[in-house]
Amino acid sequence: MGALDRLSQLGNQISGGASSSGKAKILEKNPDDVVVTAALRTAITKGGKGGFKDTYAADLMAGALKGIIDRSKIDPALVEDIVVGTVLAPGGGATEMRAASLVAGFPTSTAVRTLNRQCSSGLQACVDIANQIRAGMIEVGIGAGVESMSTQYGPGAVSEFSELLESHPEAANCKVPMGVLSEQMAKDRGITRASQDAFAAASFQKAVKAQAAGLFKEEIVPLKVKFENPKTGETKEIVVDRDDGIRDGVTAESLGKIRAAFAKDGSIHAGNASQVSDGAAAVLMMKRSTAEKLGQPILGKFVAASVVGVPPLLMGVGPWKAIPKVFELTGLTKDDVDIYEINEAFASQCLWCANELGLPQEKINPKGGAIAFGHPLGCTGARQVSTLLYELRRTGKKIGVTSMCVGTGMGMAAVWVAE
Amino acid sequence: MASMLEFRTPGFNPYAVKYSPYYDSRLAVAASANYGIVGNGRLFVLGLGPAGIQPEKTFDTNDALYDLAWSEINENQLVVACGDGSLKLFDLAAGDFPVMNFAEHKREAFSVCWNPIAKDSFISSSWDGTVKIWSPSRPTSLKTLPVGNCTYSACFSPTNPAIISCVSSDSHIRIFDLRTPVSAKYHLTTVIPAHAPPPMQSPTLPLLSTGQTFAGAAPSEILTHDWNKYRDTVLATGGVDRVVRTFDVRNPAGGPIGVLLGHEYAVRRLAWSPHASDVLASASYDMTVRVWSDGSAVPQPPPPPQQQQQQHPQASTIIPVGTQLGVMNRHSEFATGVDWCLFGTGGWLASAGWDQRVLVWDAHTLLRG
Repeated sequence: MGALDRLSQLGNQISGGASSSGKAKILEKNPDDVVVTAALRTAITKGGKGGFKDTYAADLMAGALKGIIDRSKIDPALVEDIVVGTVLAPGGGATEMRAASLVAGFPTSTAVRTLNRQCSSGLQACVDIANQIRAGMIEVGIGAGVESMSTQYGPGAVSEFSELLESHPEAANCKVPMGVLSEQMAKDRGITRASQDAFAAASFQKAVKAQAAGLFKEEIVPLKVKFENPKTGETKEIVVDRDDGIRDGVTAESLGKIRAAFAKDGSIHAGNASQVSDGAAAVLMMKRSTAEKLGQPILGKFVAASVVGVPPLLMGVGPWKAIPKVFELTGLTKDDVDIYEINEAFASQCLWCANELGLPQEKINPKGGAIAFGHPLGCTGARQVSTLLYELRRTGKKIGVTSMCVGTGMGMAAVWVAE
Repeated sequence: MASMLEFRTPGFNPYAVKYSPYYDSRLAVAASANYGIVGNGRLFVLGLGPAGIQPEKTFDTNDALYDLAWSEINENQLVVACGDGSLKLFDLAAGDFPVMNFAEHKREAFSVCWNPIAKDSFISSSWDGTVKIWSPSRPTSLKTLPVGNCTYSACFSPTNPAIISCVSSDSHIRIFDLRTPVSAKYHLTTVIPAHAPPPMQSPTLPLLSTGQTFAGAAPSEILTHDWNKYRDTVLATGGVDRVVRTFDVRNPAGGPIGVLLGHEYAVRRLAWSPHASDVLASASYDMTVRVWSDGSAVPQPPPPPQQQQQQHPQASTIIPVGTQLGVMNRHSEFATGVDWCLFGTGGWLASAGWDQRVLVWDAHTLLRG
């Protein structure tokens, strides 16, 4: 006798109810869908060397947020909350990001917070905003992510482990460096150096092709920043509008010559792991009914997300566990999905997850991934949204999944539909 | 459609309208606040007169009203199906409160039907998956028939006081014969899967008499049904899949004996004409009320055999398609109730919809227009 039961019964009578499959259901357009009306990122540049090496994370974020206002033409006062995923910032970057939103043009009435779920922070930020909209807490929000690994990457990122943490074996595993544990995992799971190098080379080649074809233009907002020339020491303003980590001419053979980084007989090296980078990304979300009322263009919608835990030493298998879980939540099958954006933390883990799940290579990261253009930790999850939605739209496809492994042993995945 | 009478039910969205079996000028409407999702119910008793439709009496209830049935034994009494699972018997001559309250259903009661022959009993169906048989003078039910899933509508056969039919969300029609022993099946004698196509010698889809194939074979909720008033083995169903089907209950595995295609959303209410053996009316979420002939009054012309053989050499079964006689599209929201007037020349209908309106109109005007 609950009103909600009656309402859903009526809804089923009108829609035809259970006859529609998971896919048909998520392709439906309903007024209470959480939709994306703008998604963009800055260029992603090489840590310590690239165009953003002298730019603070908050400045990157301010640039991306300003890009959202300019692109969407939304009245900034309508945005009620901004969540920024950022991993390395001391104090969580809470103060700087609030300041960045004011610089970008948001009024003091727009709330801001930061969060840290390591490499999935950007996705978690988008999911939090989507859930806040769904729950009716806010009408319009921005999920974002940023990382300046140039200015904030270093030994200070993790504090000392106490005796208590060290005394618990699985807890102590949480601070094993990711390169080391991934090396061990590659060895244990039999992921060969050759297959990793082939996967990494393909990432570079896809990214080169996509960049040459201008496929990143739609998602990148150019930023004017200060840049100190390391040779002359002279500082000047430059406009950064392209990813500078993408290298042409990379092949499996050329990668085969690089020395392994974490073990003498190892398989992981700088060429088949994600690059250390700087960048920011932001996603503007609201209910479909709100978007229609405001005349906002709808790029796609957020459907569902999953988060899982895995053993810390096997953190690379996160997507393998998170993707089936999000399928369970949505009723999708792996064949329903047109594009998978799976973060390439390491070629080894990304490849292993894809093979275990039986995902076809051509559906994974069609414009290349973090191996080719970098993995600014907090930014990546939000970056994948624009990369995915624009590619789905360009190719006339519909359903995409973004996913990543998360340091200390977690995984996240989310389903998006382009419109 | 010039001569149409209208009555408004402000603040209440009608779910059912029924003519009195005693007077040609008396109607009742079961209505609910907020589309029956949350809030009160109100029963309107209306009189038709020279000044149009006038309210004679209203009764308020604490939960939504989904259906009503006039008593066949007392012209002043009628029973309603209530959202709290109760059934309430109101008497026009006895104040504002129900003279009897029957509270056994554990979820929303969705339909009530008075026995038209043995006039001392009525039945109800509910979301709790049961059909209950009641005497208007006893507060507890005489019998409970288990269905097992949300039962949207239950009816007595108009020719046999011991036969009860019901339709439910599992896409099946169930027929109970109270003369059979209770046994393990609780009088259940016939189960008809409404979605199932006729048996076929070949795996091809059955053909409609229009030459199209008939694809409606997925189970879907049945929301309404009614017995033909002349052919005692024929009933019609309507529901979520938008198709009205007619069945002969003597051949439960034979598939529909006719289909009526045209509604664009779920069919919410069906009523066979008391005046013609082939005519029925249906009200739908597509905001229309349609009047149909199932084609049984005129023999179906056999399909041109040569052509059919060539196009569908395997097809062995042809399902007749009825004719839509007219569409009444004056409702501006879901049409949820329709009933025929038993009296007069035949063809007068009352319809009600979520647009908070009750319309009384002559089906003959549809034929002309």
